[in-house]
Amino acid sequence: MSTTTEGIALRADHLGMKYGGRRGGWALRECAFALPAGRICALVGPNGAGKSTLLALAAGLLRPTEGTLDGPARDDLAYVAQSKPLHPRLTVADTLRMGRELNPGRWDETAALRVIEGGGFSSDTLVHHLSGGQRTRVALALALGKRAGLLLLDEPMADLDPLARHQLMGLLMSDAAERGTTVVMSSHILTELEGSCDHLMLLARGAVRLDGAVDDLLAAHTLLRGPVGDLAPHTVVDTRTTGRQLTALVRREGPVEGPWETSEPSLEELLLAHLRHPEGAAA
Amino acid sequence: MSTLALKGPAWVTVRQYRRTLWLALALALLALAVVAGLRIWTAQDPVAPAEDGVWIASPYNDGYLKLRWILEYVGFAAIALPGVVAAVVAGPMVAREYESGTYQLSLTQSVSPTEWLRSKLTVATAFAALAALAVMGIYWLGRLGVRQGWDYHWGHPGTYAASGITVFAHVLAAVAVGALVGQLVRRTLLAMSLAGLVTGAVLAAFSAYRWSLLSTERVTGPLHSGPRITPDDLHMGSGMLTPAGTDFDPSICWNEVQQAPGVDTQEGLWDKLTNQCYVRNGVTTEYVEFHPSSHLWPTQLIETGIVLALAALAALAAFRVLRARHP
Repeated sequence: MSTTTEGIALRADHLGMKYGGRRGGWALRECAFALPAGRICALVGPNGAGKSTLLALAAGLLRPTEGTLDGPARDDLAYVAQSKPLHPRLTVADTLRMGRELNPGRWDETAALRVIEGGGFSSDTLVHHLSGGQRTRVALALALGKRAGLLLLDEPMADLDPLARHQLMGLLMSDAAERGTTVVMSSHILTELEGSCDHLMLLARGAVRLDGAVDDLLAAHTLLRGPVGDLAPHTVVDTRTTGRQLTALVRREGPVEGPWETSEPSLEELLLAHLRHPEGAAA
Repeated sequence: MSTLALKGPAWVTVRQYRRTLWLALALALLALAVVAGLRIWTAQDPVAPAEDGVWIASPYNDGYLKLRWILEYVGFAAIALPGVVAAVVAGPMVAREYESGTYQLSLTQSVSPTEWLRSKLTVATAFAALAALAVMGIYWLGRLGVRQGWDYHWGHPGTYAASGITVFAHVLAAVAVGALVGQLVRRTLLAMSLAGLVTGAVLAAFSAYRWSLLSTERVTGPLHSGPRITPDDLHMGSGMLTPAGTDFDPSICWNEVQQAPGVDTQEGLWDKLTNQCYVRNGVTTEYVEFHPSSHLWPTQLIETGIVLALAALAALAAFRVLRARHP
């Protein structure tokens, strides 16, 4: 990977990825984006949208079929795969030692131990004997201990109970804020993203549907309630009618004029609207 | 295994497979203890020297027989070692990383994929070479306690593998083949079987053709008082010659004599008629083809060279596959 432009942590250009040779389908196609450094980016999209593929490409595990994805070099990124792979026959302490051995000069044991703390297991436990949530902790500890500039997390909190999720998310966010780390995190848990992410990327069928700072995206959309009517010139993302009552989420083109009651949508409302119509309003 | 001196990916590799390494060490110590024990046992009840020094059958001495029996297995271990090495490298060391997804962990640390695979292969090679040395050492510890015999001849597969340098080339090739197959197959058990099979095929090919690498020597002599080779030579074949110097197929005479009346009942008739047939066909010369013991080392060196070339090709392919997959 080449060095990125100043201020951009990850840049994709005509990025395409196809699995299984010529006959395989495209997991990603014609993706283009530039993620500013220091952002906490939520990567969302329905199953099979290409989130994991994008993260694996950014981690340097795959070679893109076409286009480019420029990001930091291998030693300046950390990646936690969805299945939280760890060597089952190593103890937790050995796993952390592995982090130190494989990242000479960068490894931060304290940062790693902070993640392990409160996991309810001792460091001489074999990884094999850890629960799903405990494995997640160890995997995250390895990622944070590496002290990378870009953190790529594929569904990091899926295996955690609400309390652990809250604790680890807080830890992750404060650590990222403190060090200015860029985080790209895929998730299905929308509430997990609300309040922690300041950037959003929505993937659907291998393409980027929505990409931008959360505040900008929210400001560009309006939630309308009122009588059924023509919503032009605004781009309708999602509408629902109950009798004569209309609820719509639109991407505004100029000020909204009409008999509707308007409000700014929440991040969850925005995401749900776009997820319901992955082919709808293009970014 | 002491992992104190190791650093980086090599430490990780040794740590990951320490149980396998301990198991192999325990096995080697057990074999050493058994063979050493048998040597002590047989030393207390020495075997009488053989009359001709070489071709006598083993005496009925319990410890001695057991030692010979164990030696057969140690010799077999020398032959089978490359297959085991290939299976371990291909399966648990490479394919399992892909099958269980841990390659995603290993390849996103600060070491490059090339460094990652290289460290795995270095550890595997070092260990396989030590294992080969151990097998050879144990073999010779036992071997020096038994008298000569055809099954300890330098041309015997077990002795050949346990006494030369080919085993080192074969384990190197096994490591490289394992690395390649493991990446291509990515399923632990399948990769193990396939790599074992490929290495087995290479070994089988050399068992079948290694004595064709150098041309044999031939001694001729008159029929029935045939040419003799020394017990140190490796017998490769024998036959009869026509006056023109070409091979004579003795089955011509056997088929002819078989149809003669009375050969089954009349003693000596078979030999008489066959000899008449030979004379009629002008066969007066017998020959023996063999490899003198001076052929052992050139053969070992040629085999080592060929196998090392195969190892280099497999290793090159393994690293190319790795680089093609992971940027």
